[in-house]
Amino acid sequence: MQTGIKAKKTVAGIALLTRKPHQYSSGRRTKAWHYIVAALLVLLYLLPIYVMLNLSFREITDIGSRLALPKKWVTYNYTQVLGGSEIWIGFVNSIIIVMETVAVQIVASALGAYGLVRGGGWISRALGSLNMGIMMIPGTVLLVGTYSLMAKVHMINNLLGLSLLSAAGGIPATMYMYMNFIAAIPRALDEAAEIDGAGVLKTFFIIILPLLKAVTVTQIILTATASWNNYLMPMYLLTKKSKYTIILVIKQAFNSNNGLGNLPQACATCVLGLLPVIVLYLFLQRYIIEGQIGSSIK
Amino acid sequence: MRSRKYVYYCLTIPALLLMAAFIALPLGNSVRLSFYKWNGYSQHMRWVGLNNFIKIASDQYFLRTVGNTLIYGIGSTILQNVTGLMAALFLNKRFAGRNSVRVILYMPIMISGFIMGQILYYFVQYDGGVFNEILQMFGGQNVYWMGTGLSATAIITLVNSWQYMGISMLIYLAGLQNIPVMYREAARLDGAGVWKEFTNVTLPLLIPAITTAVILNLIGGLKLYDVIVSMSNGGPNRASMSLSFYISVLYFNDAKAGYSSALGIVTFLIIMVLSWGTSAWLHKKEVEY
Repeated sequence: MQTGIKAKKTVAGIALLTRKPHQYSSGRRTKAWHYIVAALLVLLYLLPIYVMLNLSFREITDIGSRLALPKKWVTYNYTQVLGGSEIWIGFVNSIIIVMETVAVQIVASALGAYGLVRGGGWISRALGSLNMGIMMIPGTVLLVGTYSLMAKVHMINNLLGLSLLSAAGGIPATMYMYMNFIAAIPRALDEAAEIDGAGVLKTFFIIILPLLKAVTVTQIILTATASWNNYLMPMYLLTKKSKYTIILVIKQAFNSNNGLGNLPQACATCVLGLLPVIVLYLFLQRYIIEGQIGSSIK
Repeated sequence: MRSRKYVYYCLTIPALLLMAAFIALPLGNSVRLSFYKWNGYSQHMRWVGLNNFIKIASDQYFLRTVGNTLIYGIGSTILQNVTGLMAALFLNKRFAGRNSVRVILYMPIMISGFIMGQILYYFVQYDGGVFNEILQMFGGQNVYWMGTGLSATAIITLVNSWQYMGISMLIYLAGLQNIPVMYREAARLDGAGVWKEFTNVTLPLLIPAITTAVILNLIGGLKLYDVIVSMSNGGPNRASMSLSFYISVLYFNDAKAGYSSALGIVTFLIIMVLSWGTSAWLHKKEVEY
């Protein structure tokens, strides 16, 4: 089956990337210019983070150079933000939305993909192509249709409504990933379980799901970061401050008094709001990078 | 077994229900609303047939916005693929610390595009912006980076490409590592130089990776929204809007919900035609090995 071959190719790609460096590197000797280019690249990519950190440790009256270090180092921007309630509300709401979205999206996609691959026949093929078509629709195209419907059924300022909406938007792509991986699992495994008297659900949870551990981990990470960083729909659907996600809290910190507000404090909010994602990324970067490659090589 | 087959189909019900409720229904609703004149909140709606679609043709912002969307889409695609391939070729060489460089180059992707735009806004500001500070260090004059629609569009394209370059880089790294070493060795034995080896061996074998990266970047660039909000908010004078941005402005600021829906459908058609066309063209160029 076509999808089976594709999935195997993906797995091979991951295996190659995680191999030890000396097995595939093309360069024979390290030259000085490698380090110069590498240093410039790192500088280019860390400069915005440096500027933000730098601004977050200064006093509000310190409006001098944004590249030079603060005239006087202060940490009260951080203690003030952490002492307030906004950032905690943002964290709690974002965590609720991420957990709801991940749970719904992963379970619905994995079950659906299993059903489609094993069910077979024209129904599966039709649903599979429908899935591909839906993946192409950008969110903004549906903006008016979605927002007016959500308003009609009173899902404004409703965290669960937003979670279901983003889970539904993510299902086509996640289901497609699962379909590729499930197609590569031999049917003989299902048949053996069936002979032993296991029903479809039991076969899925006990036999198939453990084999999908790697793809599930990466899909959870991708879904969680997408949901954490989501801006468009939360911006319009969550209007009450008590429902703000962390991204909206950061936006509010920057926009207070038309951007003439407390820039150092806004930067501190931003650093704190980004910290969980960055820390998780540094710990899980192997899975994240593999997941990115796996989900993009089709 | 027949009954088992039906159980399999039943497993797809949760996913199908969610997609029906949150994708199909809104889509139908959008199509329906595109035939009405409606301000987005009142009870009063008026059927205007295809009038909204006809009005798009004479909209003073439409052509400019399509042009900007194409700059965001095609510009980001070219920039991200060229720089991503260069970064991948460079980071495929062996040197100490290259894994850390990869991790750092991919890091901006984990950060919300909206927040990244907000941070970079403090780079392009006229007064005290980091870019102007650097210019002054070398004795230059302050520049209005976001002064015209074209410069704002160009800078947003650059920022978007800078932030998401890591995706293309990873796709190309995986692609490079999937090329069997023997092809390159054979080319070298035949006396090919570095450039010939790249254009005649590496590049043709990378076409599957190129297809993936180009399509991903193209779709991402064509529906660009977040970065525009935080860097220029569509300005100056609505001259750096993308189609996605214009749709939301029409709905939430101008109270033209019906017209906004119609523009949404036109946007969908534009994005679909461009990405399918590009995808089909690239798939034809793939080589078997």
